[in-house]
Amino acid sequence: MRALRVGKMLRDTLRSLFRRPVTVEYMTKPGSMVPLPERFRGKLTYDKSACIGCLLCIRVCPGGVITSTEERKASFNISRCIFCGQCVEICPKGAIKMSSQFEVVTYDKNGLLIK
Amino acid sequence: MVVKRSTERTEKEVEYTRLRIPFGPVHPALKEPVLLRISVRGEEIIDVDMTLGHVHRGIESLAEGRNLIQTLYLIERICGICSHSHTTCFIQALEEIGSIIPSERALYLRTLIFEMERIHSHLLLLGVMAYEIGFDTLFMFTWHVREKILDLFEKITGNRIHHAMNTIGGVRWDLTSQMAGEVKAYMREIEKSTKYIHSAFTDGTVEKRICNLGVLDYNDAIKLCVVGPTARGSGVNIDVRKDHPYAAYDELKGDFSVITRKDGDVYARTEVRIFEVFESINIIKAILDRLPNGSIRPEENVFRIMKRIPEGEAVSLVEAPRGELLYFVKTDGKGGLIRLKVRTPTFSNLLSLKRMLVGCEIADIPVIVASIDPCLSCTNRVTIINQEKGKSKVIDMDSLRRMVRRKWMRR
Amino acid sequence: MDAAIAFLISPPAVLLISLLFEGIDRKIHARMQKRIGPPVTQPFYDLIKLFSKERIVPITASARVFETMPMIAAAVSLLGASILLSNILSGSSVIGDLILVMYLLAMSSVALMIGGSASGNPYGVVGFSRKMSMMIAYEIPMFIAIISVAFGSSPSLAINNIIRFQISLGLPLAASRPSMALAAATFLLCMPAAASVVPFDIPEAKTEIIYGFLIEYGGPYLALAKIAKAVSNFALTLLASAVFLYVPLLLGENVLLNLGISLSLCLIESLLIMFVTITVPRTVLARLKIGQAFKFYWMLPLILSISSIILSSVGL
Repeated sequence: MRALRVGKMLRDTLRSLFRRPVTVEYMTKPGSMVPLPERFRGKLTYDKSACIGCLLCIRVCPGGVITSTEERKASFNISRCIFCGQCVEICPKGAIKMSSQFEVVTYDKNGLLIK
Repeated sequence: MVVKRSTERTEKEVEYTRLRIPFGPVHPALKEPVLLRISVRGEEIIDVDMTLGHVHRGIESLAEGRNLIQTLYLIERICGICSHSHTTCFIQALEEIGSIIPSERALYLRTLIFEMERIHSHLLLLGVMAYEIGFDTLFMFTWHVREKILDLFEKITGNRIHHAMNTIGGVRWDLTSQMAGEVKAYMREIEKSTKYIHSAFTDGTVEKRICNLGVLDYNDAIKLCVVGPTARGSGVNIDVRKDHPYAAYDELKGDFSVITRKDGDVYARTEVRIFEVFESINIIKAILDRLPNGSIRPEENVFRIMKRIPEGEAVSLVEAPRGELLYFVKTDGKGGLIRLKVRTPTFSNLLSLKRMLVGCEIADIPVIVASIDPCLSCTNRVTIINQEKGKSKVIDMDSLRRMVRRKWMRR
Repeated sequence: MDAAIAFLISPPAVLLISLLFEGIDRKIHARMQKRIGPPVTQPFYDLIKLFSKERIVPITASARVFETMPMIAAAVSLLGASILLSNILSGSSVIGDLILVMYLLAMSSVALMIGGSASGNPYGVVGFSRKMSMMIAYEIPMFIAIISVAFGSSPSLAINNIIRFQISLGLPLAASRPSMALAAATFLLCMPAAASVVPFDIPEAKTEIIYGFLIEYGGPYLALAKIAKAVSNFALTLLASAVFLYVPLLLGENVLLNLGISLSLCLIESLLIMFVTITVPRTVLARLKIGQAFKFYWMLPLILSISSIILSSVGL
């Protein structure tokens, strides 16, 4: 019985030897990327003209990402963002959205500031 | 004199043959840091000492300076594996204080994510178990199955790990009918794969490594107050889902049973987890069949709801994948917190490790430690820092009790 | 081929082939686990990286022993494998080179063991004691199998004499007599332990004792240790294929005369042996405990090898 089970494992591993592996290489080819679902929460985008300056987003943001600027608009520091999407939800005018961009790696810290 | 000398000599001999091995805080078998100081003679373990506190993050203190919505996302990050359990527990306490009643559909969706999280957590542990005994192939296969659940999470909630599903008075993301179909299809696949994993765990070499190891009998389990699958593996029939039903479990009571095993060894605990995956699949099927219609959250702005929560305190319980999770929440009535106390399941389970480990071999340490599914990031909680000397000291349950006793005696 | 030339080109060839074998092993292992896995050339990259790193010797270590032992291990196993390959290449036979190769391969793991236990790390000590017991468990059946082969073929302890004996017989040694088949089975059963892979990677179990005696090694020392292991694994598979199942002879006289073809056949065969005795066990089995492994080796391979030597002494 035990030998049979080892045989089963052997059979399955040998079978997977001739099948396509389930792992995917990281983004090497644009077409081979794993598709992202619709609700994916990625990097924030901000529509400044739609913003009415209620600053509710600042009060709910858990990471301290959002600060107010002098003209009573929001400014985002994505390096602190935890991608919870609470600011998107709370915004009454839909000025904040989440894109499907998940790579927030950069050589320049200022590249992560959205104003 | 002679007698004394001879005892001294034997003590010396004991000292000489005893080898002290530090197991952790950084060790390939540990996913999170804990330090076990292990004394061995040859391969046999003769004593275990435990030190916690390497990943103390001061979350409870952080929470006290934030408002409730911010705290919600903060405590989601207590644990990467059972994040939904933590938020559900917190939200339940808030809803009790504010007497907010979420809609039926919201409760069902909460339960759905909860059970999916249980499957994902148990599969993760099964994979880790296989890895600890050197069975890398089973580890890879198990985590391949788990990947499907993570994809589902990403589809439903938008993130693989931190779902951000809960909000005060409901849930944030609805389940579309297309998603329900996908969940159903995935559940069938996962059921099949889990059966396969179960058969792999009864394989000869695997059985040799995990049977009759780290035995924790019924009485010890009761005495050490272990919870969750660790307790159920020792034959203790406790499950918050049955004993104090929350969310939609009251209506789903008939759709699942509590799995218990009598042996109390590593294999029993592993088997409890495997069968709990099947039970979770049953619950998810029942949820999908009976999902009520309606809104998933109050119309009102979550910020205003938060402001309306009065001053008060509440205790909330959920059955996280690792066992009973307890929250004590005290609000200040202005949208903030006065006190948050988290009692995670690993905190209850960790002390039982000593009982399990003594008498086993070095080779069994990773297997036994993994069998209680330790989630140490959740556990490290109390740190005392002496600012003058710059020293920090972590207090575990035992020393806390000792300190309290000393204080009481002095009085 | 001239013996001198053969011995000159052997060491680099051995290094190249054994690292390539390791790469293939890792790739197949990954694909069996449904992973893409590293490229076949990954061991070369690893070595280049490790050699370019800083040398670190822990304060607790006795530095001389700690530093020299990986070098000895790598040199000794490279020497053993080169003797084996160059003897096959040149066709010259030295009396007793079979024992010499076996001894050098065993010595390579002993050297690593000593170096690791000199690191002052308790895990190194545990790894040392585990490796010691494992060596007692598998080396004895392995050596008895080799002696039984020596009895069974002509009798001789020279690799080329054994190969010539197989050619004159027209059959691989393992297929010639029941005693030789038993010896071959013993040798193949001892392979996973000698290569220390799952289920017998007990001395360097990474989840238990963090690679045991290799724990404190890093940089160039680890690279040397890796070379020692890869080369001795390759040498063992090549030895098994040359001594027990010399396949080229099945294809007739003209193949035997062509050195290139017979050598490449031999290498392909050792690759297959590696797949069966190293890759497959480490993919489909879980790690055993030291007591269980010891029991296994003293039950099955020891009995097999002893019965093989008894059978071969009575001429079966």
